[in-house]
Amino acid sequence: MALFRRANPATFILAILLIAGFGYFLFSNPDAPSQSSLRGLHKAAANALSPPSLPFRKASPPNGANVAAAAPPVVHYYLNNLTTTTDPVTNRETVLILTPLARFYQGYWDNLAALSYPHDLISLGFVIPKGRDGNAANSALQEQIQKVQQGPHKKRFASITVLRQDIENPLQSQSEHERHKLENQKERRAAMAKARNSLLFTTMGPTTSWVLWLDSDIVESPHSLIQDLAAHDKPIITANCYQRYFDKDKNAMSTRAYDYNNWVDSPTAQELAKKMGPDDVLFEGYGSMATYRSLMAYMVGKDGNMDPNREVELDGVGGTALLVKAEVHRDGAMFPPFSFYHLIETEGFAKMARRLGWKSYGLPNYFVYHFNE
Amino acid sequence: MTMVRPRHHNHELPTIQDTWDYKAKAYTPKSQIPLRRRRQLLIRLALIGLISTAFLMLIFPSLRTPILSILSLGLLSGSEDSQLETVRYYDLSNVQGTARGWEREERILLCAPLRDASPHLPMFFSHLRNLTYPHNLIDLAFLVGDSKDNTISLLTQLLNELQAHPDPKQRFGELSIMEKDFGQKVKQDVESRHGFAAQAGRRKSMAQARNWLLSAALRPSHSWVYWRDVDVETAPSTILEDLMRHNKDVIVPNVWRPLPDWLGGEQPYDLNSWQESETALALADTLDEDAVIVEGYAEYATWRPHLAYLRDPFGDPDMEMELDGVGGVSILAKAKVFRAGVHFPAFSFEKHAETEGFGKMAKRMKFSVVGLPHYTIWHLYEPSVDDLKHMEEMEKEKKDNEAKKKLEQEKIDKIKSQFDNPAQEWDKEKQVLADLAKAGGKAGKEPQKPVVKPEAAVPKKEEAQVLAAKKQAEANKQPTVQKLA
Repeated sequence: MALFRRANPATFILAILLIAGFGYFLFSNPDAPSQSSLRGLHKAAANALSPPSLPFRKASPPNGANVAAAAPPVVHYYLNNLTTTTDPVTNRETVLILTPLARFYQGYWDNLAALSYPHDLISLGFVIPKGRDGNAANSALQEQIQKVQQGPHKKRFASITVLRQDIENPLQSQSEHERHKLENQKERRAAMAKARNSLLFTTMGPTTSWVLWLDSDIVESPHSLIQDLAAHDKPIITANCYQRYFDKDKNAMSTRAYDYNNWVDSPTAQELAKKMGPDDVLFEGYGSMATYRSLMAYMVGKDGNMDPNREVELDGVGGTALLVKAEVHRDGAMFPPFSFYHLIETEGFAKMARRLGWKSYGLPNYFVYHFNE
Repeated sequence: MTMVRPRHHNHELPTIQDTWDYKAKAYTPKSQIPLRRRRQLLIRLALIGLISTAFLMLIFPSLRTPILSILSLGLLSGSEDSQLETVRYYDLSNVQGTARGWEREERILLCAPLRDASPHLPMFFSHLRNLTYPHNLIDLAFLVGDSKDNTISLLTQLLNELQAHPDPKQRFGELSIMEKDFGQKVKQDVESRHGFAAQAGRRKSMAQARNWLLSAALRPSHSWVYWRDVDVETAPSTILEDLMRHNKDVIVPNVWRPLPDWLGGEQPYDLNSWQESETALALADTLDEDAVIVEGYAEYATWRPHLAYLRDPFGDPDMEMELDGVGGVSILAKAKVFRAGVHFPAFSFEKHAETEGFGKMAKRMKFSVVGLPHYTIWHLYEPSVDDLKHMEEMEKEKKDNEAKKKLEQEKIDKIKSQFDNPAQEWDKEKQVLADLAKAGGKAGKEPQKPVVKPEAAVPKKEEAQVLAAKKQAEANKQPTVQKLA
């Protein structure tokens, strides 16, 4: 108090000015306005009729006639300016993460929410089958969406689209054993391919640069998954999908190969395909159809190379954690729900992309982990 | 306090009042010292709190947002939250597409790929305005690529005019213009010198454009997708409902074009709508993996039944025909076809690309693909290079003819004018001769010689006339010979 009394009025004014300036710096320059200008109001679509990859401005308070009178504006999209570079964060490239969701796993969601890619550049798309399981998955998902989208701005995703599938799932039981029966495979994979296509073609907006296919049972991945895969600058690139399990022999946790759809073709497989009928499909990972393809699942640490950046060119890919440049899909590469060169779904996708001039790659030493039932 | 309280209570409880007063007086001064101390403590605490928050905010900028939102009592972020919607939910079984879509408010995505199309845009927009399907249910999407004219600016202007219509019912839904250049691959290719070979490349880049447009414009809310070329000259305004009523997965009308009289008046335009034939399937088996069969060229004789050739101007417009390949001038398809993954192959799919490949792929996925042979829309007649050449020739011939006629006329006139004087002289001389004969019949033919001599080199009048007539005949004959040749 004595200090104040002795102080010169000029010093007092100076101090006030300093505090005011300090306060101004703090309160006028927080992230909030700049973030919302990027994620929100400036980038957001003006009308509800807009690409699902963008948030949109809700119609102003329901004034009945007033709302109806607002005609949607003419919107230009400059697809020439869309880039897919090795540094997508700096170049602010948008990523669309697509997941066919048969069951909701909390582990999947937690892993997704923990991705270090800026969330305001991420759009999510889900397709959920009809039926009891689907309803359960949907309500669990909606709950999590509510939490995240009303939570801190930094954690919120740019936009989220949830689709309910139009076709009935041909297989009622989704248990792991039932799913993997060979005779059920073609039907199951065809339905899956259609689900993937409907999700892809309705949610990919004119602003999307990358599409990340992430299966709903991937419960663990590096947080920098998108950046790591994008850094390779490949049109189609996939991580190696493994599964953690309890090894009874060693009496310890261990990992094993899970996704067998990432492979390099073999002459045996081509010979097999030649003998097949036009609608027959050659599946991988079944003893009854030995294809002798080189599986990426078994290329881990090959020749003593444990470099996570090691690339392998592939002829067939799986969809568990697959990063695709949007232009590959835009050119028409989709997931064939029919026998395409005796391949179907994601494996057929790699073939179709190849026909359009896009190559597929895999990272045998870079892992994501599958849920273990 | 002491002054106020007695007024209320002194009549009833005067003695108790005094004791209460005394107690309060004795109590308050004691408690005031700790209170003052506590206030100072609180102020210090608040100051420390404020400074530390400010300090924390300075160090960790990420903390600013939540702290500020707490400080502003959620007013700021609340208003923003209520404005922005980030979650969309759709049930795809609601957008399957039915025969009476306009009653169920089914949305249509109208797609039109454009390239140097500004001359046709005003016509196209007049078609749009005339559509009877509820406009608010139609979303328009354009892809403008490799355009060198003012397509984009004109398109923007016309769309803005469309949306500014005073009647809200005349306004359309979502309007998007995608700009994407694919580079003129076709022109750079060596094969483009050959018309037929260029077709495959052209079809592939066209397919690419269509796929880019669709993948960026298709929404989960669409029940139908309508592809329409901008250079359709005549089409019924009810075309969307007419095609929809058939309730097919993919449906196309017949496409013809009017022609000038000298070319026969009218002609089938779109030969890409056809039914598969055994010959074509056998041919496809012999071809290379990347080969593309293009209909309408002599290189591949496929003997396929074409939708276009089956047209009967008086036939039933509702008659349907199963198709395997379709043309792209006007395609109405259920959105679920595209959602399932059917697209315009930009590669050789079963030896076909673009719209023909689209038909093939739709068939492969067990969707119904039909055409209406007797329901016709008319494509704009734009003279082809050959037609233009021919028309130029015709025009030139006409002009040549006129010029020749003029020349002949001039020649005749010249000759006539050249011969006029001698003829007059001749007449004069004849006159003189006659006079002479009259005057002196005895003189006989003797004086004739000197008179005739100077004229001998000049052809006689009759001879000149015959020559001119001959030339005239020749001139008249020439064009007919050329025409036959």
